[in-house]
Amino acid sequence: MEVDGASTSNGGASTSNGRANGGRSRRTAFDLFKQQQLPACKPVLTPVWVITAFMLIGSIFIPLGLVTLHASRSVVEIVYRYDAECVPKAFRGNKVSYIKNGSIPKNCYRSLKVHKHMKAPIYIYYQLDNYYQNHRRYIKSRSDQQLLHGHAHYDTSSCQPEEYNNGLPIVPCGLIAWSLFNDTFTFIRGRAELKVNRKNIAWESDRDHKFGKKVYPINFQNGTLIGGAKLDPDIPLHDQEDLIVWMRTSALPSFRKLYGRIEEDLEADDVVFVTLMNNYNTYSFGGKKKLVLSTTGWLGGKNDFLGAACIFVGSSSIILSIVFMLLHVKYRRNYRGTSYLSWNW
Amino acid sequence: MVIRKLNEEIMLYSLVFSFDFALMCTLAAIGLGTLCFIVRTKKFFNLTATKIERKYCGFATEEQSQKGKSDHLDVDFWNLIRCFPIFDFLDWREKAKKMSGWDRFKPSRSRLGRNPTNMDQRTVPRTVTLGRVQPQAPSHRTIYCNDRDANLVLRFKGNSISTTKYNFFSFLPKGLYEQFRRVANLYFLMVSILSATPYSPVHPITNVVPLSLVLLVSLIKEAFEDWKRLQNDMTINNTLVDVLQDQRWECIPWKRLQVGDIVRVKQDGFFPADLLLLASTNPDGICYVETANLDGETNLKIRKALERTWDYLTSEKAFEFKGEVQCEQPNNSLYTFTGNLVMENQTLPLSPNQLLLRGCSLKNTQYIVGAVIFTGHETKVMMNSMNVPSKRSTLERKLDKLILALFCTLFSMCLIGAIGSGVFINKKYYFLGLDKGVEDQFNPNNRFLVALLTMLTLLTLYSTIIPISLYVSIEMIKFIQSTQFINRDINMYHAETNTPALARTSNLNEELGQVEYIFSDKTGTLTRNLMEFFKCSIGGEMYGTGITEIERGIAEQNGIKLQEQKLTNAVHEKGFNFVDERLMRGAWRNEVNADACKEFFRCLAICHTVLPEGDVSPEKIKYQAASPDEAALVIAAKNFGFFFYRRTPTAIYVRESHVERMGKVQDVSYEILNVLEFNSTRKRQSVVCRYPDGRLVLYCKGADTVIFERLTVGNDNLRKVTREHLENFGASGLRTLCLAYRDLVPDVYESWNEKFIHAKSSLRDREKKLDEVAELIEKDLILIGATAIEDKLQEGVPNCIETLSRAGIKIWVLTGDKIETAINIAYACNLMNNEMKQFIISSETDAIREVEERGNQVEIARSIKEEVKNKLKKCIDEAQQYFHNVSGPKLALVIDGKCLMYALDPSLRAMLLTLSLNCASVVCCRVSPLQKAQVTSLVKKGARKITLSIGDGANDVSMIQAAHIGVGISGLEGMQAVMASDFAIAQFRFLKDLLLVHGRWSYLRICKVVMYFFYKNLTFTLTQFWFTFYTGFSGQRFYDDWFQSLFNVIFTSFPVIILGLFEKDVSAALSKRYPELYKEGIRNAFFKWRVVATWAFFAVYQSLVFYHFVNTSSYAAESSSGKMFGLWDVSTMTFTCIVVTVNLRLLMMCNSITRWHYIGVGGSIVAWFLFIFLYSGLMTKHDRQENIYWAIYILMSTAYFYVALLLIPVAALLVDFIYQGVQRWFFPYDYQIVQEIHRHEPEDSRTDLLEIENNLTPEEARSYALSQLPRELSKHTGFAFDSPGYESFFASQRGIFAPHKAWDVAKRASMKSKPKVSKKEKH
Repeated sequence: MEVDGASTSNGGASTSNGRANGGRSRRTAFDLFKQQQLPACKPVLTPVWVITAFMLIGSIFIPLGLVTLHASRSVVEIVYRYDAECVPKAFRGNKVSYIKNGSIPKNCYRSLKVHKHMKAPIYIYYQLDNYYQNHRRYIKSRSDQQLLHGHAHYDTSSCQPEEYNNGLPIVPCGLIAWSLFNDTFTFIRGRAELKVNRKNIAWESDRDHKFGKKVYPINFQNGTLIGGAKLDPDIPLHDQEDLIVWMRTSALPSFRKLYGRIEEDLEADDVVFVTLMNNYNTYSFGGKKKLVLSTTGWLGGKNDFLGAACIFVGSSSIILSIVFMLLHVKYRRNYRGTSYLSWNW
Repeated sequence: MVIRKLNEEIMLYSLVFSFDFALMCTLAAIGLGTLCFIVRTKKFFNLTATKIERKYCGFATEEQSQKGKSDHLDVDFWNLIRCFPIFDFLDWREKAKKMSGWDRFKPSRSRLGRNPTNMDQRTVPRTVTLGRVQPQAPSHRTIYCNDRDANLVLRFKGNSISTTKYNFFSFLPKGLYEQFRRVANLYFLMVSILSATPYSPVHPITNVVPLSLVLLVSLIKEAFEDWKRLQNDMTINNTLVDVLQDQRWECIPWKRLQVGDIVRVKQDGFFPADLLLLASTNPDGICYVETANLDGETNLKIRKALERTWDYLTSEKAFEFKGEVQCEQPNNSLYTFTGNLVMENQTLPLSPNQLLLRGCSLKNTQYIVGAVIFTGHETKVMMNSMNVPSKRSTLERKLDKLILALFCTLFSMCLIGAIGSGVFINKKYYFLGLDKGVEDQFNPNNRFLVALLTMLTLLTLYSTIIPISLYVSIEMIKFIQSTQFINRDINMYHAETNTPALARTSNLNEELGQVEYIFSDKTGTLTRNLMEFFKCSIGGEMYGTGITEIERGIAEQNGIKLQEQKLTNAVHEKGFNFVDERLMRGAWRNEVNADACKEFFRCLAICHTVLPEGDVSPEKIKYQAASPDEAALVIAAKNFGFFFYRRTPTAIYVRESHVERMGKVQDVSYEILNVLEFNSTRKRQSVVCRYPDGRLVLYCKGADTVIFERLTVGNDNLRKVTREHLENFGASGLRTLCLAYRDLVPDVYESWNEKFIHAKSSLRDREKKLDEVAELIEKDLILIGATAIEDKLQEGVPNCIETLSRAGIKIWVLTGDKIETAINIAYACNLMNNEMKQFIISSETDAIREVEERGNQVEIARSIKEEVKNKLKKCIDEAQQYFHNVSGPKLALVIDGKCLMYALDPSLRAMLLTLSLNCASVVCCRVSPLQKAQVTSLVKKGARKITLSIGDGANDVSMIQAAHIGVGISGLEGMQAVMASDFAIAQFRFLKDLLLVHGRWSYLRICKVVMYFFYKNLTFTLTQFWFTFYTGFSGQRFYDDWFQSLFNVIFTSFPVIILGLFEKDVSAALSKRYPELYKEGIRNAFFKWRVVATWAFFAVYQSLVFYHFVNTSSYAAESSSGKMFGLWDVSTMTFTCIVVTVNLRLLMMCNSITRWHYIGVGGSIVAWFLFIFLYSGLMTKHDRQENIYWAIYILMSTAYFYVALLLIPVAALLVDFIYQGVQRWFFPYDYQIVQEIHRHEPEDSRTDLLEIENNLTPEEARSYALSQLPRELSKHTGFAFDSPGYESFFASQRGIFAPHKAWDVAKRASMKSKPKVSKKEKH
């Protein structure tokens, strides 16, 4: 791309003058503006530039893609869908009544096989599908002020319809808190229970600035309908990390949320027994529940998309540059002459 | 097709009504508030009512409204209401009928009734509807001259004028009203209101912030413009004038002048008001007046005072003057005035002859004394000022269509979302709490209502699809383009007259880039209207060695370089540019044919109707001639030693030198016996004169054809040679006349003279009889020779015309000249050449003349029409042969005014259009100003092409206003064309710069700006749209409120303005070197639906990339800590990608990237990051439930953020890049090829030698710099108006009126006046 000191005579003069005389140079610059002769770079997308640009993109994105893809591939991830299997055979036909019936025990025992060595920390996620945490009615239904300041904050109108119960305010109010996920997981390897660390699963910023240290759950889940988990009224919201994670609503109706960490390595071919309490109702709307065990790399969890996209962009650029290069070689034309102008045909 | 159109119409109508109605209602509230305030005090109400009535309802006088008010106070109230334009929705039905297309959104300004003609039209129906009897206006006013106390009772208006649009109090309501007449603003107002309802997913701030920013910018601009108007008014109002006070002349400002005052105006001064001329320093109470500001005529007019008042010249004497003027009420008729001056019981009638109009200036008179008759807004010139219909550019109208398309897109997007929401909502999603007391919008029991309300929700959510800041950005860009670029372009600066180009409106900049037809006046535009005696042929000998521009042009085409002899001692004055030593300074006496020379010069000195003026010396004398040709001939005679210095009714005095012998001077008086005047049928002029020695001679000069017919037999050789010379002259583009004489025998003459006198005194057909008598004596002439006068072309005209025609622009010359002259000039300026096939449709045929002889008007009309029809048909048939083969000759059409009149008839119009559109050049001669306008609008409306009219005189005003773009030639004295124009340039050749450089760039820029706005808003809104699908169609917003509101006004607004200012595809020099590039504008290559579709495609693609790349890639944990992103992290990420990409996309579409581009693009991206750093670092008290708190810091703590930020913009822009590469490679635009050819050349306009450039000397550069300084506007401003007679034409043209512009002085003179104490109050 040609960079010329446009209006060389003028521009050059002005800069040399400019040093000597500040006021004059400013006027000259303004003159250049008025005469529309500001120095400019005039990129002309000639074949060489197109090919070079594609090459450049390719040479950046293919390595980047490979690195990214490698990072993703080195992550070991076990995904296990349990919503259907954890319903006793007798209730398979009517899962909703099963989940709504409090008298039926919801325990469920499953085993997972580790294919590959998993280096600690191993993150435990639960994944929900078809769960519209981003629905407008749902997402609105919370009060950040209340979460931070407790029931001292009266204006909780946004929490509709979970604002009051029996005439008393609910802390934390709103649909989001009300529908807190309440499946639990315990893991046993061999004989020993794997220790699950449930601390530090939420972002610090949420914990420290959005959930008050002295705000305790009040009147929570006391209504006729129980949406999800109950909270220990003696623990301040600031320490209820499950809630904090849940309250950071997801972008899509299919999402993962961090449950805890296993801080021991899992060897390949280890079998992990999971005891889960299948409490949460996703059956009424046909949502799936999955348990995910995953390690992380520098780029986070297992996600090939980014790497694949990089490689795709990079390789298609390279292919294009080759195509263009062949074209360029075959119909060699650096730039066109006047004969190509439409009126000269 | 028809149905589609019908649908569009219907939709338009409904849109119009709803918008209009909403607007009216909103403003009605404000209006009513104001009214209540007014009504509170009756006194004030009375006063205001009077004022408003007079202003809007067209009550002619105060007395009348006084009377009316006291009788019908209640009626008045309603009258008053109707007078407010905002209540016009009462007759919206009528309005809708009148307006068409999108223009309907702008209620017609004429209804404000500022125009006097409108006033009348308005009053009648209104009066009838209310059954109100309108009292007759008193037909006169009485003014007591020189008696302020007596006049005080009558309460005339002051002399101060105010042309401002707003005052301090009306600024806000009126300014806002103006703003909300724009659809986009109104739409955003509605959306803002909607977003304050619970249905809105967004905080009202989302829409209120951009709207108020846009309004703020617009209002500041309005205020600034009005402020400038105010300053201008103040300058005019504070100009000083001498007024008689206590026997002394006192200097007081114009504004303090009152009716009845006696004022003194000095030479070259402007008249401060309409004055009654009392006395003048010139003898006979005469004064000379220049009326250039009024009618553009530069010749001086004579005004004569009544004999009774001649003496009141000195202050002492004038103090004694006591008179009473009874005259008509103020009106707008410039040429009429009736009144009486009652003086010492004597009643003297007054006529326009005694009236000096405001705006004119005094010339050739030391000073005059006058009495003030009309002041301020009641002066004739102010009453004449009318709102020039403001023009909107074609591109902007197309933009409206684009906006409409966006509305449709918006509507369908909302509809899809709404249907989805109705389908989605279901009780099974128990976590949404849909059971107990759910609000209507989410109530699964009434899905229809859910859908309906979601529609509203989505409407506010997707509001960003309409680019709110588009109009204001475009306006800013255009404003800077016109004020900084066009007005300051040194290439369009004319050093001789010290005139830079002037863009009087900034609406039409991009229209300049699409002009296909130019209608040009000839005189003063193509030519200088400077007739110069250039060559002559005497007795078979050719004299004059000069070379005309045309000859030079022809020579240059043939590759010959003509050397011009520069004679240092050559005489050159205005009207005389003759170089030949053989004739000058008496040298002709040594020529062989010295006698013929003598006759030749005598003929020049005697046979004319010129009046000498001024000092009797060859240097100082001035000639007043009917035509500049005639003056040039007399000047020539003077330079040859036959100095005509005096004329009496019966004699001509000539000071002859070098006749008897070198250096001898003798005064000779020739008795003029008869003058046979020139007219277009005779084409000749004769004078019969008697020499002091009794010799009787008839001198005749005229067109060669006429003279040659009447020559006496014999001397064929001279005839032949002269004819050759004439042809020679003609080919050089000179205007020729033949001179001849005849010696008369007294007897013959006497008998003829009797017949002549008889004819002259006949009452019937005098003209015809005179012509017949003239024939009797104008025969047997002896040829003396021929003159050749150069009608000098303006500098660079042929070159400019050639360049413009290469640019695909067709140039039509519309002139009042006769057909031969017009063709001559067409040849001269490259419009026509001999290779062209010419079609000439002239009324000068025998058939037509024969019918005209018979004299039956109906018959004439019918037969001419028939004739024209046949001619047209024949021409088209002939032309048809050439249409089909490419190599055929170019076609040219010449048509004269009379034929044109019939050809413009609806039945023939189509034929005329077909023929003329296929012609490369068209010349219309002998056309009236109205016809000029008709031809212009024929092409404008019939062919739907962009037209430009250029002219310099009052007769061009109509066509200047009729065309899409009107260009006036400035720098000359007449200002009228300039006042009516949209652009004013000093020279025709600057049209090249104006069109090919500024117009083309503006078009390109505006197209790019519009497309970019379209693209970025669509991209942004579509990501939001895709998100809707994943939220159960609930209308949840994806972005934070502030992101959405600042996207348009902060994060993406600055670079696009930079683009609109600095984008250029090829340099100015190349634009002119390859004029063909202009064709891209004519074809509208950059703003086609195809282009729109391409951009839309990229917008869809990119929005999909943004949305899906971010969402898919943030599916798993994004950091090694295993924590997950929430909605706001994802949306912040997406938004960051959009801001970066959209800004980079702008760089990709630039052909010229200056430092400002980097600053703009970089600055916008940095602005976003600064904003988000700050914003997400804060936890506000007034949280909006979903806090963006810390989102960006969380994002930036992950490696993912950086990888994604690198990948996503590149992935999004890759397809655009491929498109650009492929397009340039395989389907290049012409400008791209030119770029490539010249890509290694530095841009420097001075290196281009192909054209006449303005290479300014340091001195000229200095004067340019001075001309650019802020200057005091001349008093000419505010005096413009249409010439009388064209009103009927413009009445049909009126319809769209846009707000005033500061630089648009023509519109300045509104009828506004300061409130004044009513007479009633005094009583």
